[in-house]
Amino acid sequence: MASDRRRRTATATVPAALALVCLMFGSVPARAGSAWWSPVALSGVAITKVFATGDTIMVRTGAGTTLSSTDAARTFTTVQGNGTFPPAGTVIAGNTGWSIDSSHRVTHNDDLAGGGAVRTDPASPDLGAGADLLAAPAALPGVVVAVSTNGTVWRRGQDGDWKQALLLLPQSLVQGVPRVTSVTAFTQPLSDAIYLGTDGYAVLISTDGGDDWIRAGPGLPSSVYALSADSARHAVYAGTSNGLWVHVLQELPSPPAYQDAALVWRWIGIGAATLVAAALTLLGLLRVMPRRIPGCDPVS
Amino acid sequence: MVAEPATRRLQRYRAAPWWPTAATLFIAELGLGAALLVPITFSDPNGVDPYLARLSVASVLIALPSLFVRRLQPARPVLLALAAVATTYTLLSAGPQILIDLLGSHSGTFDAQVFWSSVAQAAGTLLIALVAWRAVAPEWRPALRMRRLGARGLAAGVIGSVVLIGLGLAVPAGLLGRVALQPVALGRDFPFLGPANALQAFAQEVQFRGLLLGALERTMSPRWANVSQAAVFGLAHLAISYGGPEAPFVPITFLVGLGFGWLVRRTSSLWPAVIIHAVADIALQFGIVQGLYGL
Repeated sequence: MASDRRRRTATATVPAALALVCLMFGSVPARAGSAWWSPVALSGVAITKVFATGDTIMVRTGAGTTLSSTDAARTFTTVQGNGTFPPAGTVIAGNTGWSIDSSHRVTHNDDLAGGGAVRTDPASPDLGAGADLLAAPAALPGVVVAVSTNGTVWRRGQDGDWKQALLLLPQSLVQGVPRVTSVTAFTQPLSDAIYLGTDGYAVLISTDGGDDWIRAGPGLPSSVYALSADSARHAVYAGTSNGLWVHVLQELPSPPAYQDAALVWRWIGIGAATLVAAALTLLGLLRVMPRRIPGCDPVS
Repeated sequence: MVAEPATRRLQRYRAAPWWPTAATLFIAELGLGAALLVPITFSDPNGVDPYLARLSVASVLIALPSLFVRRLQPARPVLLALAAVATTYTLLSAGPQILIDLLGSHSGTFDAQVFWSSVAQAAGTLLIALVAWRAVAPEWRPALRMRRLGARGLAAGVIGSVVLIGLGLAVPAGLLGRVALQPVALGRDFPFLGPANALQAFAQEVQFRGLLLGALERTMSPRWANVSQAAVFGLAHLAISYGGPEAPFVPITFLVGLGFGWLVRRTSSLWPAVIIHAVADIALQFGIVQGLYGL
């Protein structure tokens, strides 16, 4: 009797297990996408400033040396003197120029080509003395992200309204709030993304003008000191505590969408695995449950 | 000295009062774990089955026979608790898509959809709790402990919330992904997602500390019952993508589950754990900055 039951069980489970194995070997595994950040050069060197345009990349190291590359970071040479980086606190997006003025507020000139007037943005907050972090994605005209000296990240909506967009939390009980070191966006209308560099939380990205943020630094050292968006190469360069890194513009990762046969076969495989798992579980439960149950209600 | 044969040892264990629930929990967790994880080895369940329908189907296929097969009656309360966890999670995660399919442009904002999905999760959980109450024999019926809160319970809930938030801020940010607050998003989302998170916390407390712990402690020692429900609570978070780093989430939720179980037993009330869980979920909702790959 017991051997009969065993035979019946085997008759049911062996074909199911065989089908499952066929599906396992017949399916094509999902392919991994390219890395979000990749190391470029100067591994082991702290990079505190970076500026990239096309094949020309200029960096300043933690030791204060300025290095320049004209072959997309394959080789670097030392720049005599300190080299000249673009002025901080000023961004040009399309025909509009944004900057932080001496009263620590954001100004804009909406007609750079026509020599328009510079106006203080009416609702701009006081960013504090020395504030110089500013970004304006050309793909979202009117949107600006600026960082005050106390670390608050502000965003200007397309309606001109300024709001606090991001307040970093302390790293732990003993470590304080990380410093926001840099902010950048593409000055050509390539992407809505705004990139925020921090000394502790790597890089955060917003793709909706600063309302929502995601952590976007997988692979990157947690200390990011400088960012530079290069519209020519569709890339963002990050100067970090461990060299120069690059992110090439790409879609945010999302699960692949399967169609037709690929979807049907995957569902069949998942369904088969589910049925086999449920059946084996029930068989296991029936096998281990006591035959007589004291106090069991006879009919439910 | 002659070793005891395995069959005799099994028979001896079977006579123990804790055997049916312990064996049910172990085997059902293995089965549900297989349904969840085996498809990952040959398919892409995140792309095909993002709402974990496979887990819900498996839990129902396992729990339903226990309502009709006399021999599976001792397994019934535990299997119903596991079915409540799995099916209502699918209801919650698939809810927004279901609302869009049913109501189209009248389904409201995503936040509103999440809120109504959370209502459905809580209602589904209560429905299964009702089934458990009606269909489980009195000696195995889980004590849901939903009748009273009291000043002591309320104080425990408030103090526990403060302690948990403090611990959350004390541990390294990278462990949880609690990197920043996003004031614009918070102001926009809180009216719907605040209550939604509270409802989700309520549903999970009914599932884990009401139905599951209540069922396990009928036959197991309080300590083992608590460890077992906390283990299931931790393992259940394997299935959840909450946006933060996922690797530390299972051990952290295991420890939190232990604490909640202890508190529920200590206060004889589910509500302090519901309060703390709701505060923790709301804090996670608004203090966690989502990662690209859940890292």
